[in-house]
Amino acid sequence: MQQENNFSESRRDFIKNLFIGGGVTLALGNLSFTFFDSEKGIEKKVIICDFSKCTGCRTCETSCVAYNFATQDGFETYGIVNPKNANIRVNKFNPDLDIPATCAGCPDTPCINACPINVDRKTGEKALYLNKLTGAISVNVEECIGCGKCAKACETERVGVIRQNQESGKPEGLCTYCDGDPSCVKNCPYGALSYVKVDTNYEFFGKSPEQIAGILTERYYK
Amino acid sequence: MEDIFGILLDINLTTRKTENIYISKRDIELFVGGRGLAMKVLYDRIKPGLDPFSEDNPLIFMSGTFSGLPIPSSSRTCVVTKSPLTSPKKSIFEKASTVSYSNIGGFFGPEIKFAGYEGIVITGKSPFPVYIKIEDNEVKIKDAGDFWGMKTDEFDNAFKKELGDNNFQTCYIGPAGEKKVAYASILHTAGRAAGRGGVGAVMGSKNLKAIAVKGTGMPNVKNPKEFNNLANKARAYFKGREATKYWREEGTAGALKSSSDKGSMAVKNYREGTFEQIENYDAKASREKIWKRDYACYQCQLSCKKSGVVVEGRFKGTIVHDSPEYETGTMVGSNLMLTEINDVMKAIYDGDDYGIDIISLGNTIGFLIEAKEKELIDINFLDGIDLKWNDIDSILSMIKKIADRDGIGDLASKGVKVLSEKIGKGSEKFAIHVKGQSLAAWNVHVNPGTGISYTTSNRGACHLNGGDVDRQNANALKDSLAICFFATGWGGFDTNQLIEFVNAITGSSWDENSFKKAGERIFNLEKMINIREGFTAEDDVLPERFYTEALSSGPKKGAILNRDEFAEKLLEYYKSRDWDISSSKPSEKKLKELSLDFLI
Repeated sequence: MQQENNFSESRRDFIKNLFIGGGVTLALGNLSFTFFDSEKGIEKKVIICDFSKCTGCRTCETSCVAYNFATQDGFETYGIVNPKNANIRVNKFNPDLDIPATCAGCPDTPCINACPINVDRKTGEKALYLNKLTGAISVNVEECIGCGKCAKACETERVGVIRQNQESGKPEGLCTYCDGDPSCVKNCPYGALSYVKVDTNYEFFGKSPEQIAGILTERYYK
Repeated sequence: MEDIFGILLDINLTTRKTENIYISKRDIELFVGGRGLAMKVLYDRIKPGLDPFSEDNPLIFMSGTFSGLPIPSSSRTCVVTKSPLTSPKKSIFEKASTVSYSNIGGFFGPEIKFAGYEGIVITGKSPFPVYIKIEDNEVKIKDAGDFWGMKTDEFDNAFKKELGDNNFQTCYIGPAGEKKVAYASILHTAGRAAGRGGVGAVMGSKNLKAIAVKGTGMPNVKNPKEFNNLANKARAYFKGREATKYWREEGTAGALKSSSDKGSMAVKNYREGTFEQIENYDAKASREKIWKRDYACYQCQLSCKKSGVVVEGRFKGTIVHDSPEYETGTMVGSNLMLTEINDVMKAIYDGDDYGIDIISLGNTIGFLIEAKEKELIDINFLDGIDLKWNDIDSILSMIKKIADRDGIGDLASKGVKVLSEKIGKGSEKFAIHVKGQSLAAWNVHVNPGTGISYTTSNRGACHLNGGDVDRQNANALKDSLAICFFATGWGGFDTNQLIEFVNAITGSSWDENSFKKAGERIFNLEKMINIREGFTAEDDVLPERFYTEALSSGPKKGAILNRDEFAEKLLEYYKSRDWDISSSKPSEKKLKELSLDFLI
């Protein structure tokens, strides 16, 4: 599986500059700013796994938490983390399979569609929304009521990566793409993960770990 | 922040009470974690001569200093108890036995840490089958009646369903453990086993089918910033190394061919050291015919484990969780003269599925085949099983007999020492054990160092013990840190790297000497528990075979262990340990030097 990993510094700087421009992002929203356009989906990138290379070591999980939750309760974690807090989760199956699962970047965003909270009627933005700067599905924690509909939609229709916070019910487990240089991809000791354009034709696109395990069990263990 | 030196979760299955026990600063300083700390708990809790199947025998699952931290290959969990398998030649105690420790890779130890504990100590006995479910500080003892009798592979999946949450890490026994086969194993993730010394039988004696753990916490680290620097360096360390490539490509199966070539393999009940047909199921053949993927333990970059499936023949469809490893491939492969890869895969699968230590299993069956071949026993003694070399059907029948403890299987379930005592007629000469624990897959004729490892191990014959004092001490410490041997030997971390981690995590200021001393202390503590049971130097003996029957084939044809030279080597060993040469007891001076005054 060959993939391009060309989210270059310059492109990131470009986006940053756009943002610094203040309001420019919105103004450009329908014109040229399509890197993360959910409808056109052309530049939206996500993390995918070459399952033949993944060994289930869970370094992706610890790398994810180390980057995305670098502080906890005001203390720096210094990479001393619980892997279960990660936005990428290695699902283990018997017969032996390891299926890392993370947000598939679905162009039709069933999670957002399921969100009942309209935050801005003009733009149609909801409590769960696509952050156009980072490309990540993000939560407006102020507005989110923790109903869990997004988690349910993801679980029933796609990968099932959204978890509800045990106390607040608000969604967790959404990939942030680590500012365009995903920590899990960078740290995978087996080179199993890559950061690629969303491809809805990809064999495993949007499939749940259970579905993927079913396919791979047939392939490997029959 | 307050100093916490660790908590033991104490669960009594008789009273169904659980308690958090705070570990003393001194115990952590002296015994570190993992194997060492668990041995201190064992020492504190058992009376000499305690019946290993009594309620008072603790079954301890201990994480180590590195557990739960992002240090490559720091995944090991040490299971410690008093062994139901081993015994001394003489003792005033009828139920005298050695300490038992057995390590598992995977994810269990880290999860113990995430749940907030150093380890779990289980005593008592439930009146009915149960499992234990631990979620941080919530501990539940639940009915396992529906699962009793279930084999491990099926149970692995059934238990996940029962828990309804894949985030639990689990350890469990199979039918062999339930029936207290003296060398029953404890499994984790279907393909990983704490095999040696009968830990699964002790679990079964408590009517405990399984333990599940899940935690939301993180381990404590004294100097997190320093730790982070070390961890970042360590993660880059394994990249591109020859050793890393080797483990990934071949796993321990890589040793099948090389050990056979060196004459150091267990072949035909240790009669030979080379197996001509080993190329039928060495790493190369397994990669071609069986293996579909490589997999790894927590944070490990070596992925030495290989899974696959049997794709042809009458065992087609047999899942291969992790085989052949060197040990399993040898013990039920070449040691039983099996020549076909699919037969070996099936024998390993069945052994694991019943929850039996494959090493002791292959050793015991090899002994029975030889006894029958020598006409010391007949087919009636074996309940009609026509047990033969390279005969998969009779071998599978015997595995089932042992797991069920049915007929001859009951006697065979007690291990090769008890079997040979029952059969007599000189059969003890080819009963290949030390202190009742079967030798592992390395033959001794060509390698006296392995003989030292076997004779002086505190858990009975053990290939992971180490062939000299320094290695033994270092290994005892590695088992206490929870770091895998494969990541610390050839191509792995050196001692200094481990010391740096210890210092960053615990805030101590260890140097190479403290590292050595800690391992030596742990080893001597184990020794003293065994001494208390009645073990002496008389028990540190190898089977006669290695001195009297030279290898008759292969490149090392004619190799034999020289009795005098080996005795001299052993003597040197005792001296260098400062142990008495007849009682094998450490000197008072040595115990004081190691801060083990309480053992005097």
